[in-house]
Amino acid sequence: MGKKIVDFLWGTKQRKIWTSVIVGLFAASILINFIAPVPPPHVALSGEPIFSTGPKWFTNSVLTTIIVDIILLLLALATRFSLKEVPGGLQNFMEAIIEALYGLAESVAGKNAGKFFPWVVTIFLFVIISNWSGLIPGVGSIGFYHPYPAEEKHGEDSHAYLSDNQLAMAGGSIILAAPESVQAAPAAAVSEKGKFIPLFRAPSADLNMTFALAISTMVMVQIWGVRHLGGSYFRKFFNFSGPNGFMKGINGFVGILELISEFSRVLAFGFRLFGNIFAGEIILFTMTFLIAFLLPVPFYVLEVFVGFVQALVFMMLALVFFQMSTISHGSHDEHH
Amino acid sequence: MDALGIEWSLLLAQIVNFLLLIVLLRMFLYKPVLNMLNARKERIAQSMKDAERVSAAAREAEQEKAKVLEQARREAQEIRAQATRDAEKIAQDVRGRAEQEATEIRMKAQADAAKQVELALADANKQIADLAIMATEKLLGRELANKAEQQRFVAEFLAESGSKGK
Repeated sequence: MGKKIVDFLWGTKQRKIWTSVIVGLFAASILINFIAPVPPPHVALSGEPIFSTGPKWFTNSVLTTIIVDIILLLLALATRFSLKEVPGGLQNFMEAIIEALYGLAESVAGKNAGKFFPWVVTIFLFVIISNWSGLIPGVGSIGFYHPYPAEEKHGEDSHAYLSDNQLAMAGGSIILAAPESVQAAPAAAVSEKGKFIPLFRAPSADLNMTFALAISTMVMVQIWGVRHLGGSYFRKFFNFSGPNGFMKGINGFVGILELISEFSRVLAFGFRLFGNIFAGEIILFTMTFLIAFLLPVPFYVLEVFVGFVQALVFMMLALVFFQMSTISHGSHDEHH
Repeated sequence: MDALGIEWSLLLAQIVNFLLLIVLLRMFLYKPVLNMLNARKERIAQSMKDAERVSAAAREAEQEKAKVLEQARREAQEIRAQATRDAEKIAQDVRGRAEQEATEIRMKAQADAAKQVELALADANKQIADLAIMATEKLLGRELANKAEQQRFVAEFLAESGSKGK
């Protein structure tokens, strides 16, 4: 049986076919670079307004966020209205996910699982769909060319336009197009057709979304802390008790550190997710730019995995912070 | 902030979006699915308990059946033994009565026979006496004067000899 499969996939004839396919694809990649060169990717750090004349808030990541919302809600509604005692395909799938996540929440939060569950599972679902939305072919590559504003096209202060933080690809190397270096950076991201604005952008590659989740999570951590421990929750941050002056000082300092760590968690949450997904997109752009076929495939697999892991990490950390906030300071171990 | 593309309006919009998503997904996904899972779990537990109970009942019934059968067998045996004993007793009775009757019949027959013999003997004696008297009359040629006396005399004689002959 195993030999049959090996023969089927890697027999003498198949070997030739595979080899020629691979060589052909690489040759095509190189040829394409001569015939129709892949434009060097321009990577914007933030979402950009889709319509040059339209509202400024309507960025490509907002559009994709709405699409992700619609996907999630359609899944939920389809599950809700086909709910049966004897489950079918979709219901089985959703039940498996929700049961697994609920088990996870229960293992961390115990009796609080029911309260934390909607938050953490929404984080997980929203983040994983957002992450994977960036991997759909067309996201990031379909878009419009925006004409440059007339007054900036030839003006010396064209860096005023480029100052909005762009990473430019120039001759195979990425250059952060800082305002000072605009002259040095060749017009890589600036084709004669205008500035390219993708129609879609993964929401998790937009700091607004990752920080929205981070801030919501950390605010909920405080709310749950207060709800479970009352006013004594804040003693964690403002603790001046101690047998003597020295210990009072130490405890006070620890309280300040706790306070800082709450804010640092917001930053860590926000930048961790953004960094992973944004970096993944840049890797895919770069690989596609270098060799159009085959080379990006392993990176795609990697990015699918990274998207899952980041969603899980965000969810688990949120769960742990939620649970930690409900434990009183006495039995509270600092978590890093 | 601006360099990183963070805009307060967008940030707020994303927060609202996230909260809205939580509420809607909770309403349409988590609650119904978790309820369904719990209901199914309970149902399975219930049906397993039921199955347990049914099989326990079946086991009990089996035991009951065996017990009843055993008792019935014992009772049947007892009844058979009783019947055998009764039959023997009846047979004994019948036999006893039959024997008794047979004895009675025999004794009656014997008595009858004895009576017959007696009667026959008496008859014979009478005839013999008559014949004897007739013969004596013939021999004497005359009638004995006292016929009755004669007859009594012969009868006495015969009785005497009869009793002697016996």
